[in-house]
Amino acid sequence: MSAIRTVNLTRTFDGFVANDRINLTVEPREIKCIVGENGAGKTTLMNMLYGVLKPTSGQIYIHDEPVAFRSPLDAMEKHIGMVHQHFKLVPSLTVYENILLGVELNRKWRGRPTPLIDRDAEIQTVEALIETYHFQLDPREKVQNLSVGLCQQVEILKMLYRNVSILILDEPTSVLTPQEVDVLIRKLKDLRDAGKTIIVITHKLREVMALSDSVTVIKQGRVVGDMRTSQTNERALAQMMVGRDVVLTVQNDGCCACGRHPAYSVHNLTAENEAGKQVLHNISFDVCQEEILGIAGVEGNGQSELVKALSGLMTVTGGSVTLGGQDCTNDWPDELRRKGLGIIPEDRYAQGLCMEMSIADNCVAGHCEAVSRFGVFQRRKVKACRDRYLQKYDIRVAEAEGTVSQLSGGNAQKIIVARELENRPQVILACQPTRGVDIGSIEFIHSQLLQFRNAGNAVLLISSELSEVLSLSDRVLVMYNGCIIGTVNPRTTTAEEVGLLMAGAKPSSGEESA
Amino acid sequence: MSKGKWGPKMLNSILPVLLAFGIGAIVILLIGEDPLEAYGIMLGKSLLTTKGFLNTLHYAAPLLLTGLAIAVTFKANIFNMGVEGQLLFGGFFAGIAGAYLPVGDPLLHKLLCFAVGMGCGVLFAMIPALLKAYCHVDEMVVTLTLNYAMIKVLEYLSTGPFREAGSGYVCTPTVLDSAMFYRLGSSRITAFFFVALGAFLLVWFVMRRTRLGYEITAIGKNPEFAEATGMRVHRKIIVLMALSGALAGLAGTGFMLSEKFKYTLSFSGNPGLGWDGMLIALLGRHSPAGILIAAVFYSALKTGADNINMYTHVPKEIVAVIQSLMILFLAVQFLDERYGLLARLKARKGAKADAITR
Repeated sequence: MSAIRTVNLTRTFDGFVANDRINLTVEPREIKCIVGENGAGKTTLMNMLYGVLKPTSGQIYIHDEPVAFRSPLDAMEKHIGMVHQHFKLVPSLTVYENILLGVELNRKWRGRPTPLIDRDAEIQTVEALIETYHFQLDPREKVQNLSVGLCQQVEILKMLYRNVSILILDEPTSVLTPQEVDVLIRKLKDLRDAGKTIIVITHKLREVMALSDSVTVIKQGRVVGDMRTSQTNERALAQMMVGRDVVLTVQNDGCCACGRHPAYSVHNLTAENEAGKQVLHNISFDVCQEEILGIAGVEGNGQSELVKALSGLMTVTGGSVTLGGQDCTNDWPDELRRKGLGIIPEDRYAQGLCMEMSIADNCVAGHCEAVSRFGVFQRRKVKACRDRYLQKYDIRVAEAEGTVSQLSGGNAQKIIVARELENRPQVILACQPTRGVDIGSIEFIHSQLLQFRNAGNAVLLISSELSEVLSLSDRVLVMYNGCIIGTVNPRTTTAEEVGLLMAGAKPSSGEESA
Repeated sequence: MSKGKWGPKMLNSILPVLLAFGIGAIVILLIGEDPLEAYGIMLGKSLLTTKGFLNTLHYAAPLLLTGLAIAVTFKANIFNMGVEGQLLFGGFFAGIAGAYLPVGDPLLHKLLCFAVGMGCGVLFAMIPALLKAYCHVDEMVVTLTLNYAMIKVLEYLSTGPFREAGSGYVCTPTVLDSAMFYRLGSSRITAFFFVALGAFLLVWFVMRRTRLGYEITAIGKNPEFAEATGMRVHRKIIVLMALSGALAGLAGTGFMLSEKFKYTLSFSGNPGLGWDGMLIALLGRHSPAGILIAAVFYSALKTGADNINMYTHVPKEIVAVIQSLMILFLAVQFLDERYGLLARLKARKGAKADAITR
């Protein structure tokens, strides 16, 4: 008998297979960790188990009983509860009010419920609940005064009050301090001993080892490993997570000229996010002419913030950035472009393109000087620019006058690549340049980047595709937790070594200076 | 840019008008009058006779400008609800400049008044613009509330320092002859209509053909993209609010110099020209051509109110009823286009279930 069993569970989004025939078995009273990189399909899988998404095909069994959830309500009925990565709490209400939200206890009058809420009974109930599970919480405290770790406990209690037997936690440790993580691990183990089945989604391997009884590795929508935690180790898991097939089809002859002529230097860069938490710690590196410097790392370790800081979308709190000898720390995006930085942004539909505007308008974005005179657009020049890009970069469009929203991912990305490369920068900041792009376009974009380097320019490549970073770069830095944790030579390194660095393990021997 | 989308857009504007007229007709029927006759007189007199049409154009001029003032900001997803205040401020001081500055030359005097009026409009629009750009203060709230502050300030100025002593009611001195726009022919139309038309064409050109217009569109459609590709969004917000304030000031000045000639407490009418502008921007779907048509149509309703009173037994308040109904139905459609009311209703089911479980 198993708590959850899925048989050939598949989910597709517009032809993209997010989950491909997943067979997952969770035993009762165990802690199951599901690991994989961002985009591997973990969250899709959990959303299906929780009734948020419907499977395209396949079957879910809860306690060996086939189920078809139409909504999370159905899942709740089967005693499945989920704690989301971003808490669903009302900050201005107290702990007990949050826990009993939607299931308030009403005051009774002559044995009949009235619309009035019975505060005392509510507080007592929650106190008893906290007692039962040995949490340290004051039910009368307002949620806005609680630390993140305690908020999470409130979320868990909310589920426990609703009598769940299977608890799903989505990236529960991503917002916690190391001490809070230890508390959480202890709590979850207690809950397991109390008879609950727990599923934890994560990509932090240390926690997997400390927490789980069994672990399932998901890569690109498929289960690639399923074992007892006692029979594996971090090293093996890291390899399974990141060691994907090399898809490179472009010949990279390499011509590392490191240290000769730094084209782009970052020195001791630090930055804080909106909440005031430091997210970048003393990042330093040089990108030289004729070099592609890769930055690898599990997503969420500061790469996005680094890109934002370097592309002028986030203020840095310390350190400096130099481009071709000119200081460009905290420059605006237009100043950066004028100084010779091309930016292929992380999310092409958020920062790179405007989907509802025409292809031509997108082709000239950020480089309007060339096609306008005294602030007035010269339509002929704009169209000529668009036609040149479409032809030179083989961008296939059904209608040249149409909008970008009509283009496939690959063609849309090629518009950005064309726009940024054609304006003759000295340095290209390429972030996830081939994410969600078809094979043909991947090959094309890779060859464009190599060509750009071979012409004597510098490329900073930030990608979570390890194979991409390793095959394109002349030197690879690994980011972990907002720091550069190590440097590797992509010609000689192994996926295993990089995987360990990505998981936060310090390299045992030298080669550390960035 | 967006061909083939005109159908639903037009429908979204025409449907509320038809609905408003339809319900208005029921009201007229209830009073025992013939709605077709009433509507025929209302629109016929203000649109189909030369004099009536020219009068309509005269009143359409400030409405056209306030409609544009609102539409340019809406295009960038900035909400300048303070057009009324900017118009009053601009109009007031244009009137003061017109009354007190002894410039003999008529052209120079008018130009000076326009400079003062537009300058005041810009100045007043800068308060929410700077707050929005540098302190992230919601511009909608600030612009909205500042309207009332401005009304009070002008009430003080017109009852105190600038009150016309010899007048029996509260007003500022009448502007000098050299600042006045004179009627052309027997209708009320003045040269100001052509000034407004010129401003309209200029704004059209700016929005369609220039870099500023392009950037405004980009900011409205995807602010993150706009910022990332080097359009400094906060700067553009200031430029945009200045443009909007200038248009509002222009409208106020023109209304002062071509119609009112002095500031009274009911200078802008009720609802004010700025609020009417909002309705016109909605009715015209924020497109310049749409706003031109909407302004003329709306003005025809306003001038038609008098005719309905004169030639039928239907009270002129029926026009106010139709106007309010239009606002009501436009608001519904507006939500539909911007937020996808239908899609939201569909998503509601799932979300509701989701919310309960959390």
